[in-house]
Amino acid sequence: MSQTGIPKLVGQSQSQGHHAQSQGLNMNPLPAGPRTIVRTPQVGLISRVADCCVWFGRYVERSESTARELQATRHLALDGELTARQCWFPMIVIAGEARPVHDKHGDAVVEDGEWVQSYLVWEDECGVSLRRSVRAARENARAIRDVLSGEVWESINQLHLWIGADAARIEWDTHRDSFYRHVRQSAQLSLGHLRSTMLHDCVLDFIWLGMLLERIGQTARLLDVHHHAFASSSAHPVVETAVWVALLRGLSGYEPYLKNVGALTAEAVAAFLVSEVRFPRSIAYCVKAARERLTALVPPDQTAGQTALARLRALDDWLRAVSSERWESGSLHQMLTHVVDESAAVFDLLGRDLLGYAPAPTPPPDVET
Amino acid sequence: MSLLDGYPAVPAAFDELLQPGGLPREAFRRSVELIAGISAEELSHRQALAELTLLHQGVTFNVYKDERGTEKVFPFCLIPRIVSAADWSHLERGLGQRIVALNHFLDDVYGEQRLLEQNPLLKELVMGAAAYRPTLRGVVPAGKVRVQIAGIDLIRDPDGVFRVLEDNLRTPSGVSYVMENRVLSKRIHPRALDAARVRRVDDYPRRLADTLRAVSPVSPSETTMVVMTPGPFNSAYFEHTFLAQQIGAELVQGQDMYVDDDTLYLRTTRGPRRIDVVYRRIDDAFLDPDDGNPESLLGVRGLMRAWKAGKVTLVNAPGNGVADDKAIYPFVHEMIRYYLGEEPILEQVPTYLCGREDHRKYVVGNLDKLVVKAVDEAGGYGMLMGPQASLAERAEFRARIEATPRRYIAQPLIELSTCPTWLPERRRIEPRRVDLRPYILTGPEGPWVLPGGLTRVALVEGSYVVNSSQGGGSKDTWVQKE
Repeated sequence: MSQTGIPKLVGQSQSQGHHAQSQGLNMNPLPAGPRTIVRTPQVGLISRVADCCVWFGRYVERSESTARELQATRHLALDGELTARQCWFPMIVIAGEARPVHDKHGDAVVEDGEWVQSYLVWEDECGVSLRRSVRAARENARAIRDVLSGEVWESINQLHLWIGADAARIEWDTHRDSFYRHVRQSAQLSLGHLRSTMLHDCVLDFIWLGMLLERIGQTARLLDVHHHAFASSSAHPVVETAVWVALLRGLSGYEPYLKNVGALTAEAVAAFLVSEVRFPRSIAYCVKAARERLTALVPPDQTAGQTALARLRALDDWLRAVSSERWESGSLHQMLTHVVDESAAVFDLLGRDLLGYAPAPTPPPDVET
Repeated sequence: MSLLDGYPAVPAAFDELLQPGGLPREAFRRSVELIAGISAEELSHRQALAELTLLHQGVTFNVYKDERGTEKVFPFCLIPRIVSAADWSHLERGLGQRIVALNHFLDDVYGEQRLLEQNPLLKELVMGAAAYRPTLRGVVPAGKVRVQIAGIDLIRDPDGVFRVLEDNLRTPSGVSYVMENRVLSKRIHPRALDAARVRRVDDYPRRLADTLRAVSPVSPSETTMVVMTPGPFNSAYFEHTFLAQQIGAELVQGQDMYVDDDTLYLRTTRGPRRIDVVYRRIDDAFLDPDDGNPESLLGVRGLMRAWKAGKVTLVNAPGNGVADDKAIYPFVHEMIRYYLGEEPILEQVPTYLCGREDHRKYVVGNLDKLVVKAVDEAGGYGMLMGPQASLAERAEFRARIEATPRRYIAQPLIELSTCPTWLPERRRIEPRRVDLRPYILTGPEGPWVLPGGLTRVALVEGSYVVNSSQGGGSKDTWVQKE
C-alpha cells in the first residue's frame, strides 16, 4: 500500500506523474454503506445444475473433436493414398451412425466425403452432428448461465450464433479448413476460459468430468476403428504411416508423439494413445484426471457417488496394470471395448446418484409484467 | 450540423430532452449537444455494435406466445432519456410514499381490513379480485414487508407532470436492462455521460441482496437465498440468471427443492441444504401445487405452508396482486391519505371503473376517447386504444365490457411524452413516446429508489404501446446528480 492508501500495482511508479494528476484520480474513499458479511461454505451443487455442467463439458468437447477429426480426415483424403470409403466410413462408425446411415441412405454415401462431412456437421437427424452438439452445449450453458463466467458463456453463445448464421455457411462453402478451425478455436476458447476465469470449485469439476468422459470415448473409438481397419491389413507402409499421422492429428497428438516416440507403428501409436499419462487425450490421462475430479466431488463421508467413484477407480487401476502389456489388434479391441463400457457405466452411475435425472421441463406460464 | 436539426417534434407532447422550439433543455444541454453532434454513420455503427454486444452476451428475452425458445434482443436505443435532479427528487419521495402506503394496504387487506370497512366499494372490488387470497389472512411475513421489490410505471403528460400509470407489485421485470443499458452507455457515450453527471445504477444488486437478507427468518449472515425461475423458456430468463449471478444466489427451479417439516430444502450433490429466502419470479398460482394450480410442475409442494409458518420468506409476498389490480389503482390516493395522513405526492391518471354503473355508461358512450384495459392482463394485451381503434374493434370491446364489466377499466388517452430516438432504418432522430419504470426496494428500514429506471420506448411511429412484446424498445435513463 502506498501512503495515500491506494494500492499500487507491482512495478508501478510510486510517484504520481503528470498524467495521473491530469486525469484527476479520485482520492476519496467510496461510501461504504451497510454490508452484510456472508460466509461461503463449501456446498454441493443443485443436481440439475450439476447435470447441465457435465453435459456442457461433454458437448463442448464433442464439438471440438468432431471438427478436429473431420479436418484431419479431410487432409488424409486429399493425400489420395486411400479410397474415399477407407477415409470417411470410419467417421460414420465413430459417430455411432453406421446403422442409421446404412438403413436410410444406403452404402454408397459413405464413399462421398462431402456427404459424410455435411451429414456430421449440419444434419439434424444425426444425433451427434456438429451443429446439434454446439446447440446442446449452448442450451446447457444457458440453463446454468448464473454459474458460468461471462467469458465462458459468451464464447459458447457466439459459436452458437455463428454456426446458425450465413457466415458459417459461407465459410463452409469457401474455406472448409477455416470453418473447422473456427469451431475448434471457439470450443478451445470456452475450455480455456473455464480454467482461467472461473472458480475452481465443483462447477468446474463437473464440467471437466463431462469433458474427460467424452474424451475417453472419443479416443477409444477413434483408435479402435483405425486399428480395426489398418493394423492387420497389408497396406503399403507409406499408406499406413499416413493413417497413423491422420489419427494422431485427429487427436491433436502428432507433435507430442513425434517428440516422445518417433517411429510410426501401429503398436507404438496405440500404446501412446492408451497409456501416455502426459498426453491430455490419452485414455490413461483422461481416466486418471476424471478420477481426481470425482474424488474431489465425492468426499469420503458422502454416500451418493461412491459407486461411480469406485467403478472409475477400478478402471484407472486396471489401466495401469495392463498398460505395460503389448496389444495385438484383437486384444486392443477387447481392451478398448472395456474402456468404453466402463466409462459409460460410470456416467450412468453419476446420473443416478448425483445428477438426479429429472422429468422433462414443462412449458411455463409467463407472469412477467 | 446536428442530428437534431429539423427534429419533427410532436406538438401536443412534452419532449424529454428538447424545449419547445427545438433547443435542448438547459440541464442537459451539453450532453444532448454531444450526442446530436455524432454523425449518422457513426451513430449507425455504434447502434450495430451495441446490438451485437447484447446478442453475444445473450441479453435477450423470449417472445410471448411465440415459438418455443425464440430469443430476441430487446431493442436498445442509444439516445438516453435524462431526468433532472429536481424531477428525480420529487419522484423519489412520491414513489417511496406510494410503496409504503401500498404495503400498509396489503397488511390491512390480509389483516383487520379497516379501510375496506370504511369503503364498501373498495371492499367489494377487493373481495371480487382474482388476486385476492382469503386463505392468506392473518399471515404476517418475516420483516413485515410484502412489497420488497416494486416497479411503478410512470408516464409524463403534456405539461411535463409525471403520473403513475400502473403499479407492479408481484414480479416486475426489466431491472437487468437498466444495468446492461448503462454498460452500453459508458461504452457508447463516455463524454456525454460524464457531462450529464449521472448517478450510478450498479448499486442495485448489493441493495437487493441486503433487502432479501433483511427479511430472512434467520440472521442475515446465516441466510441462504435463491432466485426461483420457471425455467429457460420464460420471457425474462436472462434477467433471472443475471440477478442470481449478481447477488450470488443459486438460480433454482421448483424441481430442485422440497419441503420437509415446513422447511424448504435444496437438493444438492452433497445432500439437502436449507433455504431461507426465495426471490421468486414465478406467479402465485404456480408456487405450490397444494395451494393454487394443482397441475403446476413449476412449484414446490408445501411451499405455502412453509411460508405461512414463517420458515421461509417469499419475495414478493403471495397475494400482492390485489394491490396492483387495475381496478384497485384508483384508490391508492385514498390509501395514502388513510394510512399515512399525507397528501399524495404523485399524480395518477383518472380512471373509470366499468364495474360502477355510472362509469360504465360513460365508458361505452365514449370509447373513441378512452383507453380500455382488462384488469387481469399485462404486457399490453387485452387493451383498446380507443382513439386509434376501428369501429369494429370498439364494438367488440363494448360487448366485452357489457359481458364482464368488472374486468375492465378505462382512462382518457394521455399524450405520452416523447424522447429523441435513433431510428437505424431511417438513419435519423425522431420523437417516440416513452414511459418510465423506476424500481423500489423495501426492507424493514423503508424504501430505496434505484436512481434510474427502465425507459421503454414505442418504436413504431405514432404508437403508445411500449411493451417489449409489442414492438417496444428501451433506453438508458440518466438521473442527474444534485
